[in-house]
Amino acid sequence: MAGMGSGPDHLFNLRNTFYLGAYQTAINNSEIPNLSPEDAVERDCLVFRSYIALGSYQLVISEIDEAAATPLQAVKLLAMYLSSPDNKESTISSVKEWLADSTIGNNAILRLIAGTIFMHEEDYNEALKHTHAGGTMDLHALNVQIFIKMHRSDYAEKQLRVMQQYDEDHTLTQLATAWLNLAVGGSKIQEAYLIFQDFSERYPMTCLVLNSKAVCCMQMGNFDEAESLLLEALNKDAKDPETLANLVVCSLHVGKSSSRYLSQLKLSHPEHVLVKRVSSAEDNFERALQSIA
Amino acid sequence: MLTKFETSSNQVRGLSFHPKRPWILSSLHTGVIQLWDYRMATLIDTFEEHDGPVRGVHFHISQPLFVSGGDDYKIKVWNYKTHKCLFTLLGHLDYIRTVQFHHECPWIVSASDDQTIRIWNWQSRTCVSVLAGHNHYVMCASFHPKEDLLVSASLDQTVRVWDIAPLRNKKKTPLADDDDIMGLTQMNSDLFDATVKYVLEGHDRGVNWAAFHPTLPLIVSGADDRKVKLWRTNETKAWEVDTLRGHSSNVSSVMFHAKHDVIVSNSEDKTIRVWDATKRTEIKTFRRENDRFWILAAHPETNLLAAGHDSGLIVFKLERERPAFALSGDSLLYAKDGFLRRYEYSTQKDSQVIPIQRPRTVSHSPTENAALISSDLDGGSYELYIIRSGTVQRDAKRVSGGGSAVFIARKRFAVLDKSTGQEEVLVVKNLKNEVVKKIPLPIPTYAIFYAGTGTLLCRCEDKVVMFDLTQRLVLGEVHTPSVRHVVWSNDMESVALLSKHTIILASKKELVIQCTLHETTTRVKSGAWDDDNGVFIYTTLNHVKYCLPNGDSGIIRTLVVPIYITKVSSDKIFFLDRDGRNKEITVNATEYMFKLALMRKRFDHVARMIEGSRISGQAMVAYMQQKGFPEVALHFVEEEGHERVRFNLAIESGNMSVAVASATKINEKDYWFRLGVEALRQGGNSSIVEFAYQQTRSIERLSFLYLITGNLEKLSKLMKKKDVMGQFQNALYLGDVKERVKILEKGGLLPLAYITASVHGLKDIAERLSIALGDDVPSLPQGKTHSLLMPPIPVVCGGDWPLLRVMKGIFEGGLESGNDDVEEGDWGDALDMVDVEEDGEGSGWGGLELLDTPFMTPSQGMDVSQIWSQESPLAAEQAAAGSFDTAMSLLHRQLGIKNFAPLKSMLLDLFSGSHSYLPAFSSSPVLTSLTANLQPPHLRLALLSAMGVCYKARNLATAYNFAKRLLETNPTESQAKTARQIVQAAERNMTDATELNYDFRNPFVICGSTYVPIYRGQENVSCPYCTARFVPSQEGKICGICDLAVIGADASGLLCSPSQVR
Repeated sequence: MAGMGSGPDHLFNLRNTFYLGAYQTAINNSEIPNLSPEDAVERDCLVFRSYIALGSYQLVISEIDEAAATPLQAVKLLAMYLSSPDNKESTISSVKEWLADSTIGNNAILRLIAGTIFMHEEDYNEALKHTHAGGTMDLHALNVQIFIKMHRSDYAEKQLRVMQQYDEDHTLTQLATAWLNLAVGGSKIQEAYLIFQDFSERYPMTCLVLNSKAVCCMQMGNFDEAESLLLEALNKDAKDPETLANLVVCSLHVGKSSSRYLSQLKLSHPEHVLVKRVSSAEDNFERALQSIA
Repeated sequence: MLTKFETSSNQVRGLSFHPKRPWILSSLHTGVIQLWDYRMATLIDTFEEHDGPVRGVHFHISQPLFVSGGDDYKIKVWNYKTHKCLFTLLGHLDYIRTVQFHHECPWIVSASDDQTIRIWNWQSRTCVSVLAGHNHYVMCASFHPKEDLLVSASLDQTVRVWDIAPLRNKKKTPLADDDDIMGLTQMNSDLFDATVKYVLEGHDRGVNWAAFHPTLPLIVSGADDRKVKLWRTNETKAWEVDTLRGHSSNVSSVMFHAKHDVIVSNSEDKTIRVWDATKRTEIKTFRRENDRFWILAAHPETNLLAAGHDSGLIVFKLERERPAFALSGDSLLYAKDGFLRRYEYSTQKDSQVIPIQRPRTVSHSPTENAALISSDLDGGSYELYIIRSGTVQRDAKRVSGGGSAVFIARKRFAVLDKSTGQEEVLVVKNLKNEVVKKIPLPIPTYAIFYAGTGTLLCRCEDKVVMFDLTQRLVLGEVHTPSVRHVVWSNDMESVALLSKHTIILASKKELVIQCTLHETTTRVKSGAWDDDNGVFIYTTLNHVKYCLPNGDSGIIRTLVVPIYITKVSSDKIFFLDRDGRNKEITVNATEYMFKLALMRKRFDHVARMIEGSRISGQAMVAYMQQKGFPEVALHFVEEEGHERVRFNLAIESGNMSVAVASATKINEKDYWFRLGVEALRQGGNSSIVEFAYQQTRSIERLSFLYLITGNLEKLSKLMKKKDVMGQFQNALYLGDVKERVKILEKGGLLPLAYITASVHGLKDIAERLSIALGDDVPSLPQGKTHSLLMPPIPVVCGGDWPLLRVMKGIFEGGLESGNDDVEEGDWGDALDMVDVEEDGEGSGWGGLELLDTPFMTPSQGMDVSQIWSQESPLAAEQAAAGSFDTAMSLLHRQLGIKNFAPLKSMLLDLFSGSHSYLPAFSSSPVLTSLTANLQPPHLRLALLSAMGVCYKARNLATAYNFAKRLLETNPTESQAKTARQIVQAAERNMTDATELNYDFRNPFVICGSTYVPIYRGQENVSCPYCTARFVPSQEGKICGICDLAVIGADASGLLCSPSQVR
């Protein structure tokens, strides 16, 4: 398990900044001296994953060469997968190939990347096939997310319990708890909100945390606070898709026009769930209109 | 008198209650001492060592000892646990009449016909004092319960009180200092140191009994002069207070009652008499036909008394101890210490209401605040009280034979009047105690109980009948042993009928029995419904128990003394104790709540309780197994130590994953075998079957399994096993002729190999074999056409068969908690028998790690949108879920809307607004999560648009209408502001711009499309959405005001909150 070693954990801060979505900070602070070879690989993974999160796919693809370690190759696969819809099929087949290779198939990062890709493909079955065994906090957290996606909060809760056994205070454990709380809803939302509140007090605010808090607020019907949080997030990153999407939702609820945010989102992230939902809804509506007429 | 227990034996001369246990010792004229359990009515033991009648017995207060004294002049001390006579004290020279332990000192006092009283130390087993003075038989002697006094009665017609304080002081001097001889002499001189304090003279004949009052300086005595005398003592003298006359023969025993102010005496005149100790009048007489009474005994703690007579003993109480009470809502009316009191549960306020006689039952009419107090007095009577604040109006006391009076309605009560001799007639009276009507009863009735307004439960000997007094109709009947109490649930839907040993739970409707419960060994005392849960809580002599509607019962807790439950509220039990005090206890209701949840199949509750792990124990496991919930029981079996139980439960509930995990842990052949059988039976769980067979090394089974599942690949791997027969069989299964020939050849069966090869046309092999065979080449049968025997090619190589997914509900998830990795299902290659090729048979089969990887992804759960679109009757939710067609048809039905185009943006907004987006793991898809509050904005948006439309058209009155409605929905500030502006504008100018023919004297509305006024009473149609009115000719068109709905369409009205649906 990452970070469970007896020696000092040099990557602790890097990991946290990454998990909390401060990707540029993570990249900027990645020069850590005296890293063991394994730690260096993990560091590189985190850095490249941060680049991916920032959308710099080509950088990752060009910087990781053939000689790089398996985890980095896996990260490269993710970059390739995300860089263009044309690459998807070929990437998936190489992922499958690598997973079948018994020498590297069990690599935690590879499995994590595979899980992420299959999750994008909405093939949760395939994703879980590689991630369910866990092994790292990242994998468990991904499992929680997959189970939530599948609307199986019961399984998500079990995963969460495993994480809590390893390290209850781990950032990912906390985050996963909040996700699950949000998925379960009701009185749990308050808890989720408090978890994000903790994060925002301990670490610099990121779009991720701001959005998460805003989602909590919206779920509690507190749209005014959600709006101010989202606007703060928009200040930090004017193109963040989730911020835009949530602003659309929030504006609808406070009775403001949402069209600007929506067109922004359509322009910058045509593949975003909200965009897809809206366009499919329009089709749906027309169809329904015809059927009722 | 309430007789609790009776024996029939020889004449009983001595009695003693055990201070703690429900035991009584009786010593018989035959010389036998019997130990009885009066509660269970069983003879526990007999002690037979005395020769001749035993007249005195007594239990020690704390040690397992008792003492007996008989006509054989012997005092024996026994240990009842070891059933042994520990020692015998000798010294008396004649019959011994009574023996008694001292409550503190290790002393025994004995009274004897040798005219002496002796005090013995039962530890040193010596006589410590001889009290001489009486000059005839001493009939009884007993210690004072607190002071250093002793009272004795003698046939010399006197009662003597002795001071034994010097004796106690002597005890303190150390005896060890004296040598033996000195001690003996000292003892002899000290033997007579107890002195007579008073001699009570007054009886004209021999005195049989004398007893101290437990607290007051009083003595009571009974004598052969048939009199009971009461004496008073002070520091210096003693005198006679009064004489109680009534017995017609020798008074044999007499005593003060410890708790009531009465004197109880018995006599050879076959009666027990109870006297008022203050008024000194006789209260009651209990008579036996043939038996003279000889002895009385009182229980040191409780109210029980016992009397011995010529043919046995009786244990009895003078009066019932159950406090009479009636519950109405939050308050309890109950009787205590000569008062009717009221207790309020919520405030715990306890107040005295009216003074009353000790009642048997209380019936209460809460609205009129009237109480009926029925008592046994004068052979049955009742009193009616109207309690008004401040003053109590006491209404006509009405005596009637056996009368039990019960309220049947607010101002009516029913009286069972037996005095008239017409048992079957019930009298209904009003609050003035006037007869309203007389109703003949359907059965000879002994008692009546309330059963809802105008309805009674009538009890006769063997059944209870529910009788409707207004219809005079029998609504239902139940056969039951004599019912003593009836307890209704709060909603009057269920009733509990309590008899001595039986509880019947029945429904009000037609009195259908839900369950019958027998308490075989103990008596049912009281009960109350746990109304929240429909569980009946009751008490027996020594337990609080529950009874579920299905008849399951169990103990909640034990009791030291009986209690009378008055009310149960969640986990609190309110009760009256025997002294009539209101108390409450908190009980652990988990067990019955759990069983209840199980019974009602409320597995969510069950799961919650399991999670809270408030339930444990083997009994629960057995219970659930027995009740057919092995899958639930599975949760209770901890993995450590109970793996076998766990396995059995898993098999029973068909939970293969747990079964596999268990079998792995147990790892015994038998269990693997059973696992295999069950997996097969479940149909196609072949990976588990395979695993089980691998574990048990059942090669034959395994190869057959591979054959039928078409797993040729593994079948061929199996061929590499050493077992020749098995190899051949597998080759046959596989249709592999070459392999068969090879096996036959290897096995030395060359002719067979040759035939096989040649028949199948393997010429080169056949030739090679024929060379090897030389001359012995077998001849092939001629003229036969040979056919190739090949097993059918499998169509599919099956893994597990798809199983129908049965909703296992809540337990589906929790089960695997302990072993996350074990799941049913087949990932194909996980069970590969990698090591088959190895030579050592054992080594290849050990791989347990092979199976702990099968993992099955859980099925997809249901999205909330899906739930909405499937179930919601709300257009808004349907739209939010993206089911626009459903939303539209709903809106059409509810509001008659036909033109949806203007609603497009609104509906789309609802949909897009329904989910927010949670960025989760870096680079993974976002999680969507629901946002709150959908319906009101929807309604608001609609109203807002309608209002705008009307305002722009200057139809101010209509716009006003909408604005008002909008304000009611609690809109956002900006919306509210607009609405208010419109309201103001409209109020200034309450007209519609397009009006015509304005006539303010006649109320009218204007047709929304033709602008013709429609006066009240004129025919018109309206738009179901915006309620604008139209002239009938416009019907069927789209309303021009809101541009949404069809004019005059039938509409049910908008549902905009789930609460409207329910």
